[in-house]
Amino acid sequence: MDMTFISNLLLASVRMATPLIFLALAELYSQRAGLVHIGLEGLAAIGSLTGFLVSLITGSPFVGVLAGAAVGILVNMIYAYATIHLCAEQIVYGMAINIFAPALAAFIYRVYFGAGSELVQVELMKPLSAILGIPTDNFFAALLLDQTLMVYLAYGLVIFTAVYFNKTKSGLNYKAVGEYPKAAATLGINVIGTKYVASVICGALAGIGGAYLTTCYTTTYVDGNVAGRGFIALAAVIFGRWSSSGVLLACLFFGFCDALQIRLQVGSFGVPYQFFQMIPYLATVMVLTIIGIKKAGPKGVGKPYRREER
Amino acid sequence: MYLSELLRMEHVSKRFGDFYANRDINLSVRRGEVHTLLGENGAGKSTLMNVLIGLYQPTEGSIYLNGQKVQIDSPAQAVRLGIGMVHQHFMLVEAMTVFENIILGDRNTKGVFIDREARKREILELSERYGLDVELDKPVTEIAVGAQQRVEILKALYRGAELLILDEPSAALTDIEVEGLFKIMNKLTEEGKSIIFISHKMREVMRISDRITILRAGEVITTLERAGTDGQELANLMIGRELTPSHYEKAEASGDPVIALRHVDYQKTSKHNGLNGVSLTVGRGEIVGIAGVDGNGQSQLAQVVTGVLTPDSGEVDMKGTRVAKFTPNGFILENVSHIPEDRNKMGLIGDMSVKDNIVLKSTEAPKFSQAGGLRLKKKEIREYAEQMREKYDIRCTSIEQQSRSLSGGNQQKVILARELESDPDLLVAVHPTRGLDIGATRFVHDTMVEARDKGCGVLLISADFDEILEVSDRIIVMFEGQVMGVFSGKNPPIEEISLAMAGK
Amino acid sequence: MKNGNRFINVLVPLISVLLSFLIGCIIMAALGANPLTALQALWKGAFGNLRNVGTTLSRATPLIFTSLCACFAYRCGVFNLGGEGQFIMGSVVCCYIATQSGIEGLPAIILCLIVGALAGGFWAAIPGILKIYRGQNEMIISIMLNYVATLFMGVVYTDWLRDGSVPQTVPVPDASKLSRLFGLRTTTAFIIALVVGLLVYYFLFNTSKGFQLRAVGLNMTAAEFNGFAVKKYILYSFIVSGAIAGLGGSAELLGTQFNLINGFAAGYGFDGVAMALIGQLHPLATILVAIFFAALRVGSTTMQAATGVPTSVSDIIQALVIVFTVAGLAMVKLPEFKALVDRVFSKRKEAV
Repeated sequence: MDMTFISNLLLASVRMATPLIFLALAELYSQRAGLVHIGLEGLAAIGSLTGFLVSLITGSPFVGVLAGAAVGILVNMIYAYATIHLCAEQIVYGMAINIFAPALAAFIYRVYFGAGSELVQVELMKPLSAILGIPTDNFFAALLLDQTLMVYLAYGLVIFTAVYFNKTKSGLNYKAVGEYPKAAATLGINVIGTKYVASVICGALAGIGGAYLTTCYTTTYVDGNVAGRGFIALAAVIFGRWSSSGVLLACLFFGFCDALQIRLQVGSFGVPYQFFQMIPYLATVMVLTIIGIKKAGPKGVGKPYRREER
Repeated sequence: MYLSELLRMEHVSKRFGDFYANRDINLSVRRGEVHTLLGENGAGKSTLMNVLIGLYQPTEGSIYLNGQKVQIDSPAQAVRLGIGMVHQHFMLVEAMTVFENIILGDRNTKGVFIDREARKREILELSERYGLDVELDKPVTEIAVGAQQRVEILKALYRGAELLILDEPSAALTDIEVEGLFKIMNKLTEEGKSIIFISHKMREVMRISDRITILRAGEVITTLERAGTDGQELANLMIGRELTPSHYEKAEASGDPVIALRHVDYQKTSKHNGLNGVSLTVGRGEIVGIAGVDGNGQSQLAQVVTGVLTPDSGEVDMKGTRVAKFTPNGFILENVSHIPEDRNKMGLIGDMSVKDNIVLKSTEAPKFSQAGGLRLKKKEIREYAEQMREKYDIRCTSIEQQSRSLSGGNQQKVILARELESDPDLLVAVHPTRGLDIGATRFVHDTMVEARDKGCGVLLISADFDEILEVSDRIIVMFEGQVMGVFSGKNPPIEEISLAMAGK
Repeated sequence: MKNGNRFINVLVPLISVLLSFLIGCIIMAALGANPLTALQALWKGAFGNLRNVGTTLSRATPLIFTSLCACFAYRCGVFNLGGEGQFIMGSVVCCYIATQSGIEGLPAIILCLIVGALAGGFWAAIPGILKIYRGQNEMIISIMLNYVATLFMGVVYTDWLRDGSVPQTVPVPDASKLSRLFGLRTTTAFIIALVVGLLVYYFLFNTSKGFQLRAVGLNMTAAEFNGFAVKKYILYSFIVSGAIAGLGGSAELLGTQFNLINGFAAGYGFDGVAMALIGQLHPLATILVAIFFAALRVGSTTMQAATGVPTSVSDIIQALVIVFTVAGLAMVKLPEFKALVDRVFSKRKEAV
């Protein structure tokens, strides 16, 4: 255990937390408008594939991320329509998205590359230090500069979200939709519109979170590469008590677990590596168990909103 | 003083499927008047108001404000037109403070961010002008019901309401708080605001109204000047026939106690959702009525005496034996029946059929299954359900109909059939006639009195004071989780009881 | 009214299947294949001859188990998304007994099936207990445990029970394999699956406990007020549901797979949830849906060989079926839709 091990671990934690932050913010925006979304895993899968394909075709990981966001929005519109207009159960429909979106991603991949083709790789997004040409020889320089733009975007979004929900009029109205849609409606807040806006934001962020995996993390797409992050993000929102700062801390914690397991695998110590891979999942179970029953979160979550209900 | 017309509704109808909730309504409200809408539950008052605030779209008819024809197609539009409503169930976001609740949905001010200081100044100015005193920075869940109502009124005024709709505003208030409310209403009308006051309490209606419009079964019966009418006439018009003071024979004495509570506490610091040192008994063959304004611990009392909640301290004796463990099943085995306060949430499995709900508790009985529940006797269950349908006059297309789709009265009859056929020793009935029409209410009362006459102890909890007076043999008043007094049900001292209900 | 509901409940999935196939055909055409030939090949591959039927039923068997698993828990109002992990834990424990205990033949089979079911039940008890004692979200926990189970299985096939150089476990001895039916790929595992399905059906609709379990699932508060031990039902339904999956895992290992290997049972849990939802939580309907899904999977290989349409088209079709069915079932519950149906029906009556 030397200093490089620790500093590498912390740097990796920040990187590993980034996709979780995007996904957890996606969930936060969705739930704040009363839509619990367990389909993030699926949205991230299709976002990941899109990011991969588009950056392969255009040669630009940034375009890949944008495309990931766009496709995330498109797919999430199915969820939005079904849950907002058809009043489908949100959990059930999130599950449908979890089955549909990865199947779509796998299909597109097979069709594009044909069966049994060799591994195709893309170039990853460059860290800021490489773009600016600044050497990063110490820990703080590495922490601040050795990151892709996506990392800055993620942290920027956390701050933006905190300000939005706590300081702005629009944020207050948005929260009211998730808490008590009928009350919001009587005050002239557009409940249905807000829910759609939430679904657009959620789809975009989940798509970006998925695209991050193939534009900043690994150079190729494989089925199942989201590896439960969509669900861990859901846990991060609960753990973070539905506030953006809490969510950030939760994501950093889970990111740390992920980074730790990778480092430990390298060390191995004669223990099968799978046991280390279990760490993030077990940590999620532990954390949820420890925080126990504290009902928080928007009260209108999960309930359909109907205007002319008797 | 000349009063100009602010609102006119012409030939407004609202239909749900084949059912007319409102039919051909004509209504006119003047500036600066308190205009009362009087009608029974289900007379169409709330629907009409929901049309006015843009939550519902009228099927037919037109609405004029200041002589201009208006289309109110959304609540936002109603707010813009200066219509504000204080709903019976407050539209307050529990997770937010008073201040946040008031400024919610604000469109009048510029800027992206919330300018707390400026908004607070405006609100305080309003609250002083109308005597609406509130604590802005408290979470809305931590203030009393009366204060929450003031927040609701402020909310409407803050949005520039000229017409205020108050939907049964006194239902959840004590007498003292009602006085405060009336003062505020007078102040509002002095300042030229108009108020539509929805109520079915004759005394209040006669005190505060300028004009009264009576609704019955979705239609306007008539509009009267307050000065030209009296309570008896209004009551007759509202109900559509003479009000007969049909009284049940009151039981003089009761038998052995079925249930006895001694110094029972449950979250006693909570004034609205707790019990504080409650002692009471219910004997065989008597109806004990718990009177009090909603939210003074009645729900918790009901759930303690049916085993749903475990008290923090104190003793409960069931037929002379101390209750050690509080479980609903334990109480059911002691032959306690429960008509819970929320039929749909607590009483019925809405997605199951009438038949299934009737036998819900007894599928393990040898009558309905073999080998301790390993094989249901479906034929016997069907036959039994048919009998009950007959006996309790449950109106349904078939016993296979989903109980969710029944009317409130018929849902209650399903529960009665289930709860009373076991000849209970104790019946706990919570708001058993809430939302029912007169016929169904009578049926429920008859059934309870009949059970009493068979030796059942009945604990009736109701926020409807008339109902308590009608059937109770003994009346216990609850206020903020405490028992305020016990009164005889025969010739009850109404004044005293009212004072007790207000905490005096 | 009730018959009308039943009719709609069957109609919605059927229309969803048709729509999904329609979109599937458009995709096939876009890929340059003749949809009709492709569908023909799909059918032939799935049901064209007895051998293929056998293969289809064999593929359906594990799906029946996981869908019954999802169905049982959801009937009690809890979402068990951990069918996959429970299935895997069943098969892992089964693998140990079958290959390490030295017992062979029928006693081994019976022991394996029982222990597999216990292992699945145990794995499901974790989210169940956390749900009722810690109020935890059973979905997230059970999903997390899927990943843990998959990784644990990885330890077993890459390390503890590894068979030589290949990352897979030693195979189940021949004597402990489930026997085939009529020489087809289908084994007695399929019969076990059917029996479990019938038992679940009987339990839910013909016993008092099953009735109460459904009541809990439909309205927990009312069930509690009416004296049912809600928490117990939730925990037991989780355990039984997991046991069904664990039994499936054993049966799959003894009947079809014989050794644990990378990708074993991947996706079965979520597939099971999808099928249970399409079958609207009716155990027997769920079995039919599982067979239908298996047919799509088996047939798609033939389709790919015959027309070049990739097998993943069939995955898309399956995914669309769930997307459409769930949306459709929500739609028919909307008051507007009911009003529309009523109007159409009343008009017809007036016309008569």
